[in-house]
Parts: sequence; structure tokens; C-alpha cells
Amino acid sequence: MNNQSSQNQITLTNISHLLQQQGYITDQSVAMSVFLSFQLNKPLLIEGPAGVGKTEIAKVMARVLETDLIRLQCYEGLDASHALYEWNYHRQLLHLKMLEQEKQSVEEKEKTIFSDTFLMKRPLLQAITYHQQPVLLIDEVDRSDEEFESFLLEVLSEWQITIPEIGTITATHIPQVILTSNRTRELSEALRRRCLYLYIDYPDFEKELNIVRQKVPGIDARLSQQICGFMAQLRLLKLEKTPGIAETLDWARALSILHIDHLDKDMVEQTLGVVLKDWHDTRQVQMSLSQLLEKTGIHSKLDNL
Amino acid sequence: MILRQTSLSGNIVQFCRFLRQKGFALSAEEEATALKSLSFIDYQSQPIFQQALKAVLCRSKSQLDEFDALFLEYWQEINQAVDAKVKSKAAPGAKPVTNPPSFQALKSWLNGNNHQEIEQTAAYSIHQNLSRQDFSRIPADDIVEMMKIIKALSRRLAAQASRRYEKTAKIKQPDLRRTLRKNIRLGGELMEIAFRQPKCNRLKLVVLCDISKSMELYTAFLLQFIYSFGQVFRRLETFAFSTSLHSITSLLSHHDFANALQALSVQNFDLQGGTKIGESLHTFVTDYAARLLDKRTMVLILSDGWDTGDIPLLDQSMKVLQEKAKKVIWLNPLAGYAGYRPEVAGMQTVLPYINVLAPVHNVASLRKLAKWL
Repeated sequence: MNNQSSQNQITLTNISHLLQQQGYITDQSVAMSVFLSFQLNKPLLIEGPAGVGKTEIAKVMARVLETDLIRLQCYEGLDASHALYEWNYHRQLLHLKMLEQEKQSVEEKEKTIFSDTFLMKRPLLQAITYHQQPVLLIDEVDRSDEEFESFLLEVLSEWQITIPEIGTITATHIPQVILTSNRTRELSEALRRRCLYLYIDYPDFEKELNIVRQKVPGIDARLSQQICGFMAQLRLLKLEKTPGIAETLDWARALSILHIDHLDKDMVEQTLGVVLKDWHDTRQVQMSLSQLLEKTGIHSKLDNL
Repeated sequence: MILRQTSLSGNIVQFCRFLRQKGFALSAEEEATALKSLSFIDYQSQPIFQQALKAVLCRSKSQLDEFDALFLEYWQEINQAVDAKVKSKAAPGAKPVTNPPSFQALKSWLNGNNHQEIEQTAAYSIHQNLSRQDFSRIPADDIVEMMKIIKALSRRLAAQASRRYEKTAKIKQPDLRRTLRKNIRLGGELMEIAFRQPKCNRLKLVVLCDISKSMELYTAFLLQFIYSFGQVFRRLETFAFSTSLHSITSLLSHHDFANALQALSVQNFDLQGGTKIGESLHTFVTDYAARLLDKRTMVLILSDGWDTGDIPLLDQSMKVLQEKAKKVIWLNPLAGYAGYRPEVAGMQTVLPYINVLAPVHNVASLRKLAKWL
């Protein structure tokens, strides 16, 4: 019931408001895609570089809808038995062992071991049989194998799962699905067609500033501007691992804990490890640090001497 | 031909047809979704209308980037169509012109694809000619065709699975031998079941590419080939070297080889000048070998062996490579020529340390290469 009422409340104008209330700063395209995916009840495929808040959307969605988040983390070699269900073999075998002395027919024994108690529900089955409409997050779907992708297609279109021993289980509520991908591999056209598509890029200066100010409340105004400006310049470099918003926030928090109110060259050099996680990148940035800071509009007094 | 539609649904359908012409793969289902989505929004407002269609009709990043321009173009054409109608009533006359070709296509399809067969044989002959052609002598117009051939070839080769089995934790075929072995300690009671699956040659691959000017074209084709294999390898790392060594794995995942090279030169890496294989391999051995090399990794070096650098250093680095990696394969485009002898000082040095010296100068040689991968 709760679910029904929140569905009625949501319109395009207040969805970005709702997202903002939950601490997620959006732009128009994100709000529109989330809104439509919700209204059309279609899965939403979110692509974009690492650390721009793709996964966060699912978490916020769950909070907005006041429901639970079920997460399926994809990895290479993930297969149906890990995503869907598995029979608890050990328990079944032990159970049979215990029943050995009793005078039950084979059919009766079979019926007991293929019942709900011996079924281990994995995320997909869990999402389908959940008591209310959950948000199902299928994270980093590009890491899974192609065979799993086509299996996923089947589940996403039919919303039912067939277990040979029990029968077909149809979804009680169709979950709100969010898939994320880092584009390490192109996803199949068929999967794309099942979903609405959203691409989230690194935020522009204004948006990032907003995010930093919201997530790190005590931060100095000038410092936050300098951090965002520096990050924007940093992303223009061709780095092995371009830092995302997560890194910006880490850095902002670190500097604000240190009670620093502006950036200077020494400070940047010392705390670069928070932002860059690859030593080739670190070396490259260290070499062009003065240039970078100049572009950001930060002048070190020592340089002028 | 864009005609003015008076109903909203007519307009949406026509807009989808317009997008389809521009390479968007849209079916009736998407059209329906687009119309349905309009019922949830205030479509009087043009930005919201555009935003909604964008969210529903785009399927990839490139389509997202194109959409706004196409949207604008479409509505501009519509406005022009309105003007044309006011001036003269010639618009209905245009309609029959569009129909006959589609009937033609339908007829040919009913008559058993006569047209297509001719096209196919033509394509096959191109394939034959191109596959023997040296990469460096391919005319510029054929490069796209060549890339297609290479892609198709590598996809076919990649699909081959081994006939052997390996153990797996997944629920697959039961492995009777291992199941029995496992349960001996339980007195032969089968408590734990072991599984097996067909073995895939999931090797890790490290590619080291010489990107001096003479090698550039060969490298581009080889990388295209290797990257279509992507799914087969557990991990694929690519490095480019000339006088120094750089990882281009992340660059390649976003761009093709030519753009990746351009990005490299933007970073002021020295691409011209002589090749220093010894120094480059030494950098690889000191910086990356510990992390990337093990006995399940194959090293693929693409170079013509012309070296202006340090020969003892090359010797030492190759020795480490051979010890740490499963296999070292040296691909030399020059090896494809009949009279080739590996007599350059660089090649003489590395010869004892490599498992295979193979040519990569045309498609036929790439096909043979798959045997080693």
C-alpha cells in the first residue's frame, strides 16, 4: 500500500526534489530517466566512468520508494546458480540420511527434499519473490560473461523463473531494476533494447561544487571551489585512472579535517594520494603540478620568488 | 521524405522512422514506449518533450551525443514542410515515389534473394584478394573492409573451446572420478559432488607493440585482431614502445589504435626516432613484470627487431621474460618474406629466448597465429 501511495506522488517536477532530499544532486537528464523508468516500469541501464555515482542512484531510489535494495554484484564467471537459486545439497543429503530408517516412500522423501527449506534464494529469485516491490541493482553487468547476459535478458523480459523440481515462479511484484556498467565491454543490443539508457559523465564544475558542499558540510567556501577547479583540470589529463566524484569527496573531507582553507602546492603534493591511486599518474601529475595549479588559478608564493 | 503530421502519434512514428534512417535501431516497441512515456510528462514544454524522447529512444553513448542535433534537424525539416505546403500543393505527388523500391526489395526477397547472392560472391572475392595482401600495401579504401574481415575471423577463432575438461565450482556436468575420490573419507557415501566443464583456454596475454613508423600499420591490424579476442583472454594488457614504454590498455578501451596513438603524442611521448627495444623491455621487466607475468601469461612482442639501443640489456630482459611467462611469441612482419633471415643484431639476441617467431604481414598469417594463442 505504501508503495502505491508513493507512486502517485511522484511527478517529474518533484522527483529531482525527492532525489535531492535524499542527498543526490541530479541534472535534468538523470531525473527524466529515473522518472520514466519508474513510470514505464522498465529497467534502467546506467553507463559512465567509475566513481560518478551510478550505484548511488539505486541506493537513493530505494530510499525514495521506501523499499529495500537487493544487490547482485556481477563478476567474471558469475552463473545462474549464483544469481538465481541453488539447492542446499549438504542439507538434502543429511536429511535423507536421517530419514533412512523411516518407512517413507521414495515419492514422499523426494517431495520433502525439494521444498522451500532446501532452496537457497540468490538475489534474482529473492527480488522476484519479495513481499513488496524492491529495487534490484545489477552492478557492473559488463563484467559478467555473455552467456549470463543472455540469461539475464530472459529473466528481465518474462519476470518468471522456472525451477524444474518446483515449477514456475512468477514475480509477485516486478522489481525496479537498475543496471550499471563501466563500459569495459560493449553490452549486447538485445539487453540495451530492454532498458532505458542513461549516461552519466563526470560532473561539471557547478554540479560538483554543489555535491561537495552538500556532502562535506563544514568545508570552506574557497577551498571547495579550488578543489573542484583542480579536479576539472585533472580530468583533462590522460590518466590511467581518472578520479571520480568519490575521490573528490574523499579529498574534500581529508582537507576539511585538516582545517585547511585554501590549496597550495605543498598541500596538494602531500595529499595527492587521496585522489590518484596509480603511481604512474602520481608521477605525471607531480611533474605538471605547477602548470595545473596555475590553470586552476592557485598561485604559490614560493614560485614567484 | 518528411511529411507534416497533424497528430502527436503520427509525428512520433515519423520521427522514429527518421532516426532509423540515421542508424538508430528502433522497432515498433520503442515507438509505443515513447508514446506511452509522453502520457506521464508535460509534453507542451519543448525541453521536457525532447528530454523524454532522448531518455526513451537512445541506446548508447554515441546515440545520446547525436540525438540533440537530429531532433533539431527533424523539427526544422517539419517546419520547412509546412512552408512548402502553403506555397504549393506538390507534397502529395511525392508519395508514390517512395513506395516502388520497397516493393522491389520485397519481390526479390520472395524470389529467393537473387540480389543478395550476387553481393555475397562479390564480397567473397574481395576477401580472397585481401587476405593475401601485405598490410602495408593495402589501399586506404580497403582498410575498413580489412578490419571487418579480421573481426569476423577472430570471432570465429575465439569460439573454439577445448575438448578437455577442468574442474569447476559451478553446477555443471558431474565429475564422477573426482566425486568418488572426494567421498572416500566418508566411507563411499556420496555427500559432496564435484563438477567439471569444458576447458577454455583462458590465458592472460601481454602485448608489447613497437610503434615506430615502419611498424604502425601492422600494429593497428594486429591489435584489432587481438582485441576482438577480448572475451577469450582472462586479461589483456597492451604496451606501446619506441624509445620508451607506455601502457595503452586504458587508452585502447576507449578509442581505437589511431586515436590512442594520438592521445599518446598529446602527452609528449616520443614516438619518432629509433627503437630502443632493450630499454623498453627493461622498463617492462622492472615496472610491470612482477604484477603481470606468471606461468599462465603469454607475452606477444610485435617488432621488426631493428634496434638502436642496448643489446646486453635486451638479452637480460628477454631472459627474465622467458623465465616468468608461459610463452614468448615474437611477431615480425618481415618474417613473411621468402628470403628472410633473422640476422639483425636485435633478432640474433632474442632468438634463443622466444618460443615462436611468426610473421604477421597479412590476414592469412593472422589465421595461422590463432594456433599459438
